Amino acid sequence: MVDLYRLFNPRGIAIVGASREPNKIGSVILRNLIEAGYEGKIYPINPNAQEIMGLKAYPSISAVEGTVDVAVISVPAPKVPDVIEDAGKAGVKFAVVIASGFKEVGNVALEEEVVKRAKKYGMRVVGPNVFGYVYTPSKINTTFGPNDIIPGNVAFISQSGALGVALMGTASVEGLGISAIISIGNKADLDDSDFIEYLGDDPNTNLILIYMEGISEGQRFMEVASKVSLKKPIIIIKSGRSEAGARAAASHTGSLAGNYSLYKSAFRQSGILLAETIEQAFDWAKALAWNPLPKGDNVVIITNGGGAGVQATDALADYGITLRRISDTLAANLKQILPPFASLGNPIDLTGLANAEWYYQSISLALDDPNVDSLVVIYCRTGMTDPKEIAGAIKDALKSSKNRKPITVAMIGGEAEYEAMRELTREHIPTYPTPERASASMGAIYRYYYAKKYVEERLKELDKKKLTALERIR
Amino acid sequence: MIMNFYDVIKRAKEEGRRKLLEHEAFELMNSFGLPVPKFGLARSPDEAVTIASKIGFPIVLKIVSPDIIHKSDVGGVVLNLKDEDEVRKGFEQIMNNVKKNAPSAKIEGVLVQEMVPEGLEVIVGSTRDRIFGPVVMFGLGGIFVEILKDVSLKIAPVTEVDVDDMMGEIKSGRILVEGYRGMAPRDIKAIKEIVTKVSDIMIEVPEIKDIDLNPIMLYEENRGAKVADARVLLG
Repeated sequence: MVDLYRLFNPRGIAIVGASREPNKIGSVILRNLIEAGYEGKIYPINPNAQEIMGLKAYPSISAVEGTVDVAVISVPAPKVPDVIEDAGKAGVKFAVVIASGFKEVGNVALEEEVVKRAKKYGMRVVGPNVFGYVYTPSKINTTFGPNDIIPGNVAFISQSGALGVALMGTASVEGLGISAIISIGNKADLDDSDFIEYLGDDPNTNLILIYMEGISEGQRFMEVASKVSLKKPIIIIKSGRSEAGARAAASHTGSLAGNYSLYKSAFRQSGILLAETIEQAFDWAKALAWNPLPKGDNVVIITNGGGAGVQATDALADYGITLRRISDTLAANLKQILPPFASLGNPIDLTGLANAEWYYQSISLALDDPNVDSLVVIYCRTGMTDPKEIAGAIKDALKSSKNRKPITVAMIGGEAEYEAMRELTREHIPTYPTPERASASMGAIYRYYYAKKYVEERLKELDKKKLTALERIR
Repeated sequence: MIMNFYDVIKRAKEEGRRKLLEHEAFELMNSFGLPVPKFGLARSPDEAVTIASKIGFPIVLKIVSPDIIHKSDVGGVVLNLKDEDEVRKGFEQIMNNVKKNAPSAKIEGVLVQEMVPEGLEVIVGSTRDRIFGPVVMFGLGGIFVEILKDVSLKIAPVTEVDVDDMMGEIKSGRILVEGYRGMAPRDIKAIKEIVTKVSDIMIEVPEIKDIDLNPIMLYEENRGAKVADARVLLG
């Protein structure tokens, strides 16, 4: 494993290319790093400035007297090799090369030169052609993206720059807390596998979300991802579905199928969840990052609307989850608190009259029933209830129960329901505006639950295979 | 029969052939323990008769030539030969047909092969991907693969758990496990062994680019399977 500890816990960061012009990329990065509250030393590097944003500026990294673990390099591409040389001499461990104008525009030799020089000093390279990285536990933001990141436990790795920056914003709007954001760009040196492997052991990360265009070493990637997905979920948005679709259609026996289907197979064998859309990826991420894993496959739906319950049931079925009848004990207990016209099947239909108390009681009873493994709770706007109160009841029921079980919530309606959804999201209760999305996100939890078992068994079998191969050689 | 599969590959390479001859492909599969038909290569009618009586009847004869791709088109295949006399005549018939229809073809001999009983046709194939390495494909033969593209892919090494998953992934997988319209469930163990072994071969023999076992006759539970046709391409 590549030790990335000092990238994420640096003693000092140099920003090469920061200037007094506030709109230059180097300056935006410097400002973001200062505003993020990074507690190590920050060194702006600029030969033409004495001081930038109140910090002493240095003409070169080697002129800095303190320890610099990371150099964020934002100078034009042709100047990068010399900066790398300087950083190497100064003992920098990681170079984050923001500059573009390398392999992505055909400058392969220049990119190779950067890596070659870095290697000479044992320095590792992130990029080039990246937007920087974030690590909230160390209060680092060296990106030129937004700075309103919510700290949390989701690590996000992006191969795309523009989309990556945009998704930083999306994560905030969606209320998704972030541990790390890493732009990996051209992956001239460090790649997906290096970061997945490191983040797999990072105690501040409990889910890894990736936007991927392609990888180069499939076998190594699968090996790393298989081990990590046993510890935490990996969700990948993989671009290139349609192009591959065309290739798959043209393929036949022997020539097999297109690229996308191979990625799909590789992901499945490694326990990775493949999201088809960005919306789906964020939906799943919230459900998985904020929930414990279920103990079994008995999902119960609690709803105040029959139609929404049916939609939720169908969406669960799409993920291979079939609802079972609730236990007699749970039915008897519910009967005590609910009116006679409530339907005690699965979904449990509290009917349109359901108030906050009914929600509180039925969720509490379901959480305490040993036969219930997970819950999908649905609220449809009604004339008589305040969604804020319902949200409060859901929150209270979860808080007061000693049993932690996976839950997803749908708050269906208008402005007020949307506000209630945001309220629950702030409490890390994954909540969605439609029953289908609440169910699909519960489906993702189960997809991971089964993926983990598959990978566990597969790795066991591979170990056995390796042993027999060894014995054969002996 | 234990033979060094590297000899097969070496010879093909020396002769500048990318495609293994049918008996070579069978030999290679056999050396890895895959269930291929009993077979032998005959260079004379007498040899054909000797091999045939060892294998047992009925027998299939096929011309073996690097220059002939579509054997039936040149009259190079005779099926269902029931005794020694038919085998002798069959051998001569094939030789005459080929002499007439493909006079310049180089002839290696005639493949004398056990006639494979009908079974449910399944397909196992493999190729190499630049990024992931060997990829193994599995599906049911006929319209399932050709028209519906109902196949599952796994990256090697393919384990038994992977094959379980493949059978769950293809829509026609239930036919194997549960049977269909009076057809009994199939020998799942046999197909698992074939798929995992194809993966092993691809890993152990990097010279191979493609394997196409099509069709494989898959029989009822505990009755095994038989690779009816094997195509192996070198890289």
